[in-house]
Amino acid sequence: MFRHTPLRYATLILLFSGAVFQAFTGDYYGLEILSEILILAILVLALDLVAGFGGMISLCHGALMGAGAYGFALLATQAGLSPAVAIIVALILVGFIGCIIGAICARSHGIYFIMATLAFGQMGYSYVFDAPGFGGDDGLTGIPRPDMSALNIDLGDSQTFALYCLAALCAAYGLVVLFLNSGVGRSLVGVMHNEVRMRALGSEVWKIKAIAFGISGMIAGVAGILLAQHSMYVSPSIMNWTVSGEALVVVILGGLGTLVGPIVGAVVFVVLKHQVSALTSYWHLVVGCLLIAVVMSGSNGIFGWVETQWTRHLKQRQSPRLAPRSEPTSHQETVKDA
Amino acid sequence: MAPDFGFWTLQTLNALQLSMLMFLLSIGLTVIFGLMHFVNLAHGALYGIGAYVAATVAGVAGYWASFILAPLAVTAVGLVLYTGLIRRMRKSGPMAQVLVTFGLIFAFLDVTRIVWGDIPLALEVPDLLSGRTSLVGVEYPTYRLFIIILGLTVLAALALILNRTQIGAMIRAGVDNDAMASCLGINVEKLFFVVFCIGCGLAGLAGAVAAPVLSVTPDMGLHILVPTLIVIVIGGLGSLKGAIWGSLIFGFVQTFGAVLAPQLSSMLIYGLLAAVLVIRPEGLFPARG
Amino acid sequence: MKRVFMATVVGVVSLFSMQSSYAADMKVGLLLPYSGVYAALGKEIDAGFELGLEKYGSDLGLDIEIVREDTEVKPPVAISKTKKLILQDKVQVIAGVVSSGVLGALRDIITSSKVPLVVANAGNDEATGSQCSPYITRMSFSNSQVNRPMGKWMFDQGIKKVFTLAPDYAAGRQMIDAFTESFKAAGGEIVGQEFTPFQKTQDFGPYLTKAQASDADAVYVFYAGGEAISFVKQYDSFGIKVDKPLYGSGFLTSQLYVNAQGPAAAGVITALHYVPAIDTPENLDFVTSFIDKTGHIPSEFAVHGYDAAHAIVEALKSGATDRESLAKALSQVSFDGPRGELKIDPTTNNLVQPIYVYQTSVEGSQATQTVLATLPAEPDPANGCNMSALMN
Repeated sequence: MFRHTPLRYATLILLFSGAVFQAFTGDYYGLEILSEILILAILVLALDLVAGFGGMISLCHGALMGAGAYGFALLATQAGLSPAVAIIVALILVGFIGCIIGAICARSHGIYFIMATLAFGQMGYSYVFDAPGFGGDDGLTGIPRPDMSALNIDLGDSQTFALYCLAALCAAYGLVVLFLNSGVGRSLVGVMHNEVRMRALGSEVWKIKAIAFGISGMIAGVAGILLAQHSMYVSPSIMNWTVSGEALVVVILGGLGTLVGPIVGAVVFVVLKHQVSALTSYWHLVVGCLLIAVVMSGSNGIFGWVETQWTRHLKQRQSPRLAPRSEPTSHQETVKDA
Repeated sequence: MAPDFGFWTLQTLNALQLSMLMFLLSIGLTVIFGLMHFVNLAHGALYGIGAYVAATVAGVAGYWASFILAPLAVTAVGLVLYTGLIRRMRKSGPMAQVLVTFGLIFAFLDVTRIVWGDIPLALEVPDLLSGRTSLVGVEYPTYRLFIIILGLTVLAALALILNRTQIGAMIRAGVDNDAMASCLGINVEKLFFVVFCIGCGLAGLAGAVAAPVLSVTPDMGLHILVPTLIVIVIGGLGSLKGAIWGSLIFGFVQTFGAVLAPQLSSMLIYGLLAAVLVIRPEGLFPARG
Repeated sequence: MKRVFMATVVGVVSLFSMQSSYAADMKVGLLLPYSGVYAALGKEIDAGFELGLEKYGSDLGLDIEIVREDTEVKPPVAISKTKKLILQDKVQVIAGVVSSGVLGALRDIITSSKVPLVVANAGNDEATGSQCSPYITRMSFSNSQVNRPMGKWMFDQGIKKVFTLAPDYAAGRQMIDAFTESFKAAGGEIVGQEFTPFQKTQDFGPYLTKAQASDADAVYVFYAGGEAISFVKQYDSFGIKVDKPLYGSGFLTSQLYVNAQGPAAAGVITALHYVPAIDTPENLDFVTSFIDKTGHIPSEFAVHGYDAAHAIVEALKSGATDRESLAKALSQVSFDGPRGELKIDPTTNNLVQPIYVYQTSVEGSQATQTVLATLPAEPDPANGCNMSALMN
């Protein structure tokens, strides 16, 4: 179940207008960064769906994104399909893979689940690295962008492409919200809170997890396809577990289980990375310390903190004489042991 | 030319040596998990720091000094980490602790680059252990035999401590049920602290021991993390038995995979991990049933 | 306490202001990995490049500004940084690129944007072969160029059977394939080939035992960086050198990290396009200035940067000022550098250079090289590059 509070609406509107503003006023490099942020936002949205609302912390989302990217690349270049058809086929493929992984790993929890997803992710990475025809370490070039000239849209133009990514992000966000508010989505949250009880109530837990993972995989696949179209190049390095690790960092940084938080996290992470690496080559240190600070502060990421402060502010306004004790809606309590 | 008996003996020794190295790394990590219920993802980084400290100390004072000092240095780092970071996160639950250690991976990666630079370092095998030894009809590098013997010694020592001493009994009690152990008067927090520091020390020892064989690079901690996690998950979290069996399985699969089917060998271990997680999700010999 | 932490977080997250650049006569983009696994190589090439500009560019009378960007060895990052250099910084020429994967990713954007790129390391054969471009000029080496001559040379030394080892990725395979092709053409026999999982193998034990068990006369390998250190040390520890001497591509005993290999590197014979021991006035001058600048002996990576800078200066001297004319001028460059006589082969835009076969010896904690043979410079044979078709 996902509710849109006024704060969340406000943040979404702010982010959307920021993106549009940047798309129309940004210089070439600004547009590059915008596309990068949008693609990362789609990936972390997918991860938040299973991690924040399903309690399934996954380290294979980088691989799912890569599967989408490679699927599209191979279908569009070697199988000769048109980009639009290739997108659809690739998405179905990745969704299917996501379902399978979700189903197989349904029995695992906590650290075991993380390791299982890691195993599948790395198997995918090794396969893509070694398989003939996939380009190996050198990758695949010449990946086309969809031809939308019928609609008078040229996706070769950076600005148009950024807006195309923004549209994809909005669609993905809408899909995730629809899913979370559907029956299966609510069951998913139920599974996260108490799996045994859900099973006792008659839910087929593995099916719920499989469906959630399938949808999440598909959205990660969208991010992968956009990545492939943006760089017009894919290589196995986009599928390594460290990519999944970075996605997890962004979700935590933004706010697990808030959907809006991870998008905020994506903006902060990409901008910070570019600014810091302009000054020093040691930006890993900055990101690491930032993550530690966020986790130690006890709040649920940047957006989680904002939400807590806002709720407290509202409560104080409603009943000024009863100053409530601060209790952050820490997601850590509801997520299973790691 | 068909490989002869000597060839298979050598490969078995190779597998054993890899297993023992992985054992040194995984035992610290698995006992920390068994007791404190969180996976210290910075374990690989601590291994890397152990190797770097060993390389620096050995350059000044020789191998044996680094053999003693590197684990102690890493134990000290563990001490600082625990009091500064981990202890504060104890109330927030395991997830928060895992994430903090995840942040530490990033931080340590650049800290080693800042302190020691980007160019790989190396450490020489001590004269006592250089060269080869003849045994069972083959000649095998003496230093690798040393790793095997060291691993077995640590295994024996830990088995002794865990099964025959008071503190071992307390640790086993804490792993079984820390709330109950606390009720019985065991200072579980202090136990956590001691176990964490010893776990870090073992990671440092593994780094110091591995450094002469491998090279010392900033990303060595990152490279060893996933194999270590695979070992403890296959073996089963929290138990000594799990750590040794996981290490042996890993060592033998990797070595004989490389010998018999090198193209598949990178996928093989992940396939095995996935299989274990599907069939026995808790691992082969977990501490708790 | 929580508030303090969050305040710190917010403080860190606040945006820094973008740095503005001053107007310079010439802008050169330097695209290298300053973080990640190849950071050491990036720094070395950077130092060589700076030194080259100082030495050769000072009498040009031009104000040359270097704009540095970190590729992080990640192709998507490199692509976006390249777009920044081209579209925002508006550089006239780009130099650098360590990883072949990154070079492959950049090939299309470099060619379509018509910006000259001087490659200062990446060795994949396609970049001056089937994927060649009038805008990509290579001042470093190509994988096959460095390994091809060793095939015949080793056979002429009396080695008839060889076992090869290399990491399993594109460059590893190209290096070994070039060697095995020429070795077999000369009459030799490859008795075994193993490719080890790339950047995952730290323990070469199983593979070394296999090599030891074969009936090869010698072992030929390609490894670089940390893997090279581990490999050479482990090869020595197994005592294989006694009946199977170790040969390889010179990256195995590169000056950058050969000292880390200690006594294990003694006796290893490798071939490379640069060795600090080359006895020419240009090289002695280069080595001394490099030691003055950085405190350590230059490696082949440093000379890549140095010669890349020299090539750019030569192109500028010929009167070229904008991207198009620089690209044309770079294809015609030739000069005497620390490596010897260098020139670009305009049919592939790859460098033509001599290859040095050398043996490493160790005295105390320093490794030194003795050049055993200088194999003459040969342009690459037909490799799929159709430059004339691309120029029109």
